Amino acid sequence: MEALSSLAFGFSVAFTPFNLALALAGAALGTAIGALPGIGPINAIVLLLPLCFSLQLPPESALILLAGIYYGSGYGGRISSILLNIPGDPGLVMTTLDGYPLAQQGRGAAALALSGIGSFVGGTLTVVLLTFLAVPIARLAVSFGPAEYVALMVLAFALLATMGQGRTAKTWAAICLGLLGAMIGVDGGSGVERFTFGSLELLGGIDFTTLTIGLFAVSEILVVAEGMRSGSVSNLGAGSHLKLRELVACFPAMLRATGIGFFLGVLPGTGAAVASALAYTAEKRVSDRDGTFGKGDMRGLAAPETADNAAQTASMVPMLALGIPGSGTTAVMLGALLMYSITPGPLLFTQRPEIAWGLIASMYIGNIMLLVLNLPLVGLFARLLLVPNWILFPGVLGLSFAGVYAATNSTFELLLATGIGIVAYAMRKIGIPLIPMLIAFVLARLLEDNIRRALSLSDGDVLVLVSSPVAILFWVLAALTFLVPMLAPRLGRRIRAMSDSEAS
Amino acid sequence: MNAAGSSGDRIAGALFLLVGIGAIWHAWSLDVPFAADPVGPKVFPMVVGAILAIAGAAILLRPDRVEWERGDYGRVILVAVASLVYPLVLDPLGFVPATTLLCFACAKAFRGPTLGSAIASVALAGSFLLLIDILLGLPLPRGPLGI
Repeated sequence: MEALSSLAFGFSVAFTPFNLALALAGAALGTAIGALPGIGPINAIVLLLPLCFSLQLPPESALILLAGIYYGSGYGGRISSILLNIPGDPGLVMTTLDGYPLAQQGRGAAALALSGIGSFVGGTLTVVLLTFLAVPIARLAVSFGPAEYVALMVLAFALLATMGQGRTAKTWAAICLGLLGAMIGVDGGSGVERFTFGSLELLGGIDFTTLTIGLFAVSEILVVAEGMRSGSVSNLGAGSHLKLRELVACFPAMLRATGIGFFLGVLPGTGAAVASALAYTAEKRVSDRDGTFGKGDMRGLAAPETADNAAQTASMVPMLALGIPGSGTTAVMLGALLMYSITPGPLLFTQRPEIAWGLIASMYIGNIMLLVLNLPLVGLFARLLLVPNWILFPGVLGLSFAGVYAATNSTFELLLATGIGIVAYAMRKIGIPLIPMLIAFVLARLLEDNIRRALSLSDGDVLVLVSSPVAILFWVLAALTFLVPMLAPRLGRRIRAMSDSEAS
Repeated sequence: MNAAGSSGDRIAGALFLLVGIGAIWHAWSLDVPFAADPVGPKVFPMVVGAILAIAGAAILLRPDRVEWERGDYGRVILVAVASLVYPLVLDPLGFVPATTLLCFACAKAFRGPTLGSAIASVALAGSFLLLIDILLGLPLPRGPLGI
């Protein structure tokens, strides 16, 4: 029971008063920001990222804080999905299908309680699986050499391009742009400047906080400014509270959804949006005998909520065990580790156990904390929905820029963030996905270093990249992922339909 | 109002193609006096540039017809211009005045009432200074007014 003793060590890290306070602060802040209409989890974490860095917390504390913000914002996002019918991120679209009708029927409070419990179940069961699976996976990965890593990352990109949202060619373009963006600056191996165009400010490369603020916060505000979304707040409701009978009826749905969420979350590139869509569709097929789904069926709310949280937690498995993020938020956390000069990956568990296990332990704590925080306080958070747009978005913009300045001390970075934001806005308009670009940006260094290391070992012989059985397996899987939708268009369409979700 | 068209995709595809070729050219023309490994800094950007160019060509040749809602671009431009001006005035004016102007422009873009927007902007700018500079101890630029 090595995992249990490691977990106990993790709890000893996470249970220090300072880290507990950070987890609580993160959860509360995350919930508050996530509850603001239209601000999803990735925006919440991005908004607070510069401040986390500038405070110079030790890495494990920074991760615990970021993780707290992450779960918190997921909970908060449910509030605007259910009461306002405005999902803050793609993973929450399915939540609105049965959540909003429930709120309209005056059962908003019951719906929020159910979604909180569903998330708790999905999150906690997945953390248990993570506890026992992360180390075996990492142990397998320790034997990977540079060639295997290159193949694995290419496989991750192929999965992103095929399974993710948006057209395959557009996702590949986004991945390439992310990789190129990460190359800006001085190349470590040779001291040569790449893509700096003579600019002194670009010598150190694009700052990670600048990139994330530009990509997500600035572009989001521009998108909202263009076509203002608005909705009327449903009454939180004096309607009847969640009954135990209703909750028990949802448990089978939650368990099924946890399984779906876990498996899809572990795969790089699929993530929570696909998981919640698939869980909803599956649950509808299994349980919708009276045609109540979409009209406020509790199970139709519990399934996507549970799957969403399970997938979000499961996406920590490849991030921690392999150093490869599967979702936007884990990419941000990985970027955070890189800024501390910590290379995530299989060795993290042996070399920096306080980070890996501290984070895992804090996930248990975070899930419980959120349930405790949210069941009584949900009414308070729901009030945040009443903040008018003309206060909310100026505030988000001002805080974003203040955060970038605090992290970088440079007005050039502010210009860069705005420039990136305008480009990202244009990309969103024509359907180029941003998350693959972020993941590619984070992985670029690792990918290039591994290619160069592999080829140094072989003295420039390219065949080294396909020299081991494991590497060949990854390349074959990547090729299949890439080719199958082309050779079998019907299958490709089905995969795409799943990820675009049946709601749209 | 909805407009359907493939011009957005064509422009994006052409741009990606150009950026991809530009990346290859830039990497090709790098002057590398010394590299610690046999690959050097040129190969990776060239491969990535090539993939980008191929993806760009694919989008250019087979553009999707994207339906997009035509929104209020005036508001987008107002927010974008305010954000571009902000870094230029931040150091000369100081954090609170500059941020107040930014927030005010943005609030007007979101159709806030003038007086309310003004009050909210001052309050937001002031509370950010309080939170980040004074409470968290991360220095923000102070202008001639000391704020």
